Amino acid sequence: MSAGKLLSGLAQHFLLSLKLNFRSTQALVYGYFVPIFFLVAFGSVFRGEIPPLLHQMGQLLTISILGGACFGLPTALVAERERGVWRRYRLLPVPTGSLIASTLLVRLIIVGSAAAIQILLARLVYQTPLPGHSGQIFLAFIFVSFAFLGLGLLVAALANDVPAVQALGQCLFLPMIMIGGVGVPLAVLPDWAQRVAGFMPGRYAVDLLQRCFTDPNGLQGATFSMIALVVIGTAAGGIGLKLFRWESGRRVNRSTFAWMGIALLAWVAVGLAATATGRLDPVQPDAVAYESITEEQIDQITYEGLPGDNELVTRLSPPFKPDKTPERARAFAHQLKTWSLGYAEDPGQAVRNLLSVAAIADIGADLREAEIGRVVFDELRARYEHDQLCHILAWVILRPSDGQVITRVPELRLRRNLSESMVRERSVLYAKKYLGRLLRKLPD
Amino acid sequence: MPPTATASVRVSHLAKNYGPVEAVRDVSFELFPGEIFGLLGQNGAGKTTTIECLLGLRSPDVGTITIQEIDIQADPARARQRVGAQLQSAALQDKITPQEALQLFASFYPKPADTDSLLTQFGLTDKARAPFDSLSGGQKQRLFLALALINDPEILILDEPTAGLDPQARRELHRIIAGLKSAGRTVLLCTHNLEEASTLCNRIGILHQGRIIASATPAELIAKAHAHPWISFRTARPLDSARLAVLPNVTSHKPEGNGWQVETTEINRTISSLARILEADKNEMLDLQIHQPTLEDVFIELTGQAWSEDKPEETS
Repeated sequence: MSAGKLLSGLAQHFLLSLKLNFRSTQALVYGYFVPIFFLVAFGSVFRGEIPPLLHQMGQLLTISILGGACFGLPTALVAERERGVWRRYRLLPVPTGSLIASTLLVRLIIVGSAAAIQILLARLVYQTPLPGHSGQIFLAFIFVSFAFLGLGLLVAALANDVPAVQALGQCLFLPMIMIGGVGVPLAVLPDWAQRVAGFMPGRYAVDLLQRCFTDPNGLQGATFSMIALVVIGTAAGGIGLKLFRWESGRRVNRSTFAWMGIALLAWVAVGLAATATGRLDPVQPDAVAYESITEEQIDQITYEGLPGDNELVTRLSPPFKPDKTPERARAFAHQLKTWSLGYAEDPGQAVRNLLSVAAIADIGADLREAEIGRVVFDELRARYEHDQLCHILAWVILRPSDGQVITRVPELRLRRNLSESMVRERSVLYAKKYLGRLLRKLPD
Repeated sequence: MPPTATASVRVSHLAKNYGPVEAVRDVSFELFPGEIFGLLGQNGAGKTTTIECLLGLRSPDVGTITIQEIDIQADPARARQRVGAQLQSAALQDKITPQEALQLFASFYPKPADTDSLLTQFGLTDKARAPFDSLSGGQKQRLFLALALINDPEILILDEPTAGLDPQARRELHRIIAGLKSAGRTVLLCTHNLEEASTLCNRIGILHQGRIIASATPAELIAKAHAHPWISFRTARPLDSARLAVLPNVTSHKPEGNGWQVETTEINRTISSLARILEADKNEMLDLQIHQPTLEDVFIELTGQAWSEDKPEETS
């Protein structure tokens, strides 16, 4: 068979499988209704947070992908195998793996669309900010789906019937939900559970996806999580493909369990590697570093030598008059309100992120740089109480190397990639201008 | 078949074991162009295993299989392109339509048959857009036959195509299968239905406990058997056993209900003699039935076992 004919056949199989999925009530319920249910459930629990759900999006998306891959995929595969659909497929003059690959791709689309719906609904219903790293969320999704679809394929190979899929799927699902950092955040789990979670793929999936929402550096520094998911997914998927059964009737034997053991060895290997590299040290709730700054330290900060507000660096508009805010400043303020990295869990980091925005606009000589400086100041005052904001700005000034810093913000149309040291330096200058004004040591 | 004809399918000394169970032993047969060859056997006889080896779905432990001179084990994909198959216990997704199924399977072949023509040929045009789970058993089997023809093959392998169908649907499918032969296709028909085998097949191989114990045309098989025709009848007044013993060509007789069953080597002579006896005794024939030997008799004679018309064998 020619490659063109094979691809055309597989494209037909892909499209038809997708179409059949949307004709099945059961598939729609499990594929879309259940993820929405989880979104509403999480939204109900975490509705008090500002903004709601931002720090749970990694968990929420992981649950959806895990469910779609470890239940949806094997349920569909085993149901078709039990009916004899795959027995009929096997007569086709196509390589064994190609139809399975097509089926995996269909599931990837289904799971991906469910995740996208969750993100959009969270935005519409709870005003949860969209991922700060919109391109990287796609990459993270691919890594997570790769691992979980591999596991789903293994479940399909091991399960003799659909009820067995449910049983095996729960063996994967429940531990990850309860102690794997997927359902319950790692920080609130006991130390032993956090270490156990390091042996499960769920922890690394949440890590990757959550970074795209709240980590200023996105997936930078997430190499270990990516490798962990690739190792686990490759082992499970490869063995699942090897053990794939075309028809019912054939049952698992001892060698099957041996192969399953090899797939689980990948989990052990990842866990041991994480332990050896210190990645499984217990995660504690973030320390609030700025609280260690004293009033005396704040008083000692001086404001001499700051550039003027109309000079080349750290430009800052005068306060906008009521109802006379320039249109482009208003538009930027609106964007900033939904910018997820401005809502980092640690207020200190969140303020650093917002200061970075002003700094990047300034260094990049953005036409709006002065207005952006003012919008950021207004936003900081709106979000934080006076004393807390003063402590945080003082922390930025006194410990400029602490925390993380953003060097480009394409989602706010600040696309230049700048050096970290420059952004840190300029952030300190803005922090001084803001703090001086808050303490009335500088005129505004 | 003409001895010079080249076999479309050649199975030689096929053997296949499942652990300690010998599913098929030393099975050999050939299919010639334009004929229907029936593989007749009861549950567990090895029909499905033979077919699965033939389609390359299972590897034989011993033996070779060639399809139009292509070794199925050496080049299964190429061999499969020459064959269309309808498998027992195969199905489709509940919500797929006949049209979609045909288009999907057609997309994998370089020169597929026209799907609309197949829908028409198998009487599925009205159901072209109906979901699979809404089709009747007969319609589903017709769809599977259409799928078997999607690559326009010269050789068709049909595994219990009429299993589970009502008599009307079964007759309809028989008509279609006979039509395939008329169109010049070679058909291997696996069945446990004696009537189906004797009606449709040019030649039959009887498979029993994994071996082919007889292979010939239905007429030759029956002719070779030692079974005789018999008559069964009832009379108005009782008829003495001694009167039947002297009837010409009668080999045995025994009571059957209120009448008699008489085995004979020459039905006409036996019946006319019986009529004369009844006339002389002023007795009256109430009813009379003539039974010719069938494949069932052949099977019983060859195996010593009764034939049971139970459900088709499960996939091994």
